[in-house]
Amino acid sequence: MKRLAIGIYAAVTVALMAWGFYQAIYVAPNDAMQGEIFRIIYYHVPSASVAFLFFAISLAGSIGYLSSRRNRPEWAQVSDAWALAGAEVGVVFCTVVLTTGPLWGRRAWGIWWTWDARLTTTLVLWLIYVSYLLLRRFAAGPQMQTLAAVLNIFGALDVPIVYMSNRWWRTQHPAPVFGGDSSAGMDPSMVGALLWNMLAWLAWGVLILALRYRVERQQQKFAAAEAQEALLG
Amino acid sequence: MDTRDILDHQFLVAAYAVTWAIQLGYLVWLGLKWRSQKRDAARSARNSHSS
Repeated sequence: MKRLAIGIYAAVTVALMAWGFYQAIYVAPNDAMQGEIFRIIYYHVPSASVAFLFFAISLAGSIGYLSSRRNRPEWAQVSDAWALAGAEVGVVFCTVVLTTGPLWGRRAWGIWWTWDARLTTTLVLWLIYVSYLLLRRFAAGPQMQTLAAVLNIFGALDVPIVYMSNRWWRTQHPAPVFGGDSSAGMDPSMVGALLWNMLAWLAWGVLILALRYRVERQQQKFAAAEAQEALLG
Repeated sequence: MDTRDILDHQFLVAAYAVTWAIQLGYLVWLGLKWRSQKRDAARSARNSHSS
């Protein structure tokens, strides 16, 4: 039954991805100023949104780990697995943002990169979470999970800064499309494509997040069993 | 199609292709990790049975 539900969810996700692609390439019109290159937004913006969401899940996991590590060890391990899964999948989506952005920038601005507030804070966010993953990969000992959780909380502080950066500082990056000033917004003929791709990438993200969580839980159980076996000799 | 349009199209294709390469690459890595984990668990179970 569980297998069937996962299969149906995966099939719906693939259908959503195909529909989102169709909307982005064949339904949404070219931008009057930018032409075809504007269509990068249909992958760039949803990837950024999903990355933010998964970093928030990771933050919640780390807070859960720190608050329960002494009195509810099993719950702490579950929280830690969500923290790791959220951070790792968030980094994947953030990597997409940091590669599609410069491809758009090269055509729209004539440059691959500039040290603008939005770009710089996003790169810092990516570096912090890569550090978090490296810490988890290479540090050993009982304090590793605690240190990683604290780093995660500091890293998550950058998320609202990234979000607000193009509102606080008007530099090179375009102004916010949604939630910006009165001149912000998108033509209704393009909104559908963006929302479909948001939904599609969210569905895809949840699928790989769940898979990553499951792999981490298996890893934890395997490590616990091995430790117990070693103790028993 | 002028040169600008051709370049725009190529950059758009590159952006979509890179996105899929990153996402599918990660999915494959995750699948391989899961498979090796299952193999390790089976080996460990076999060893504890035999000892």
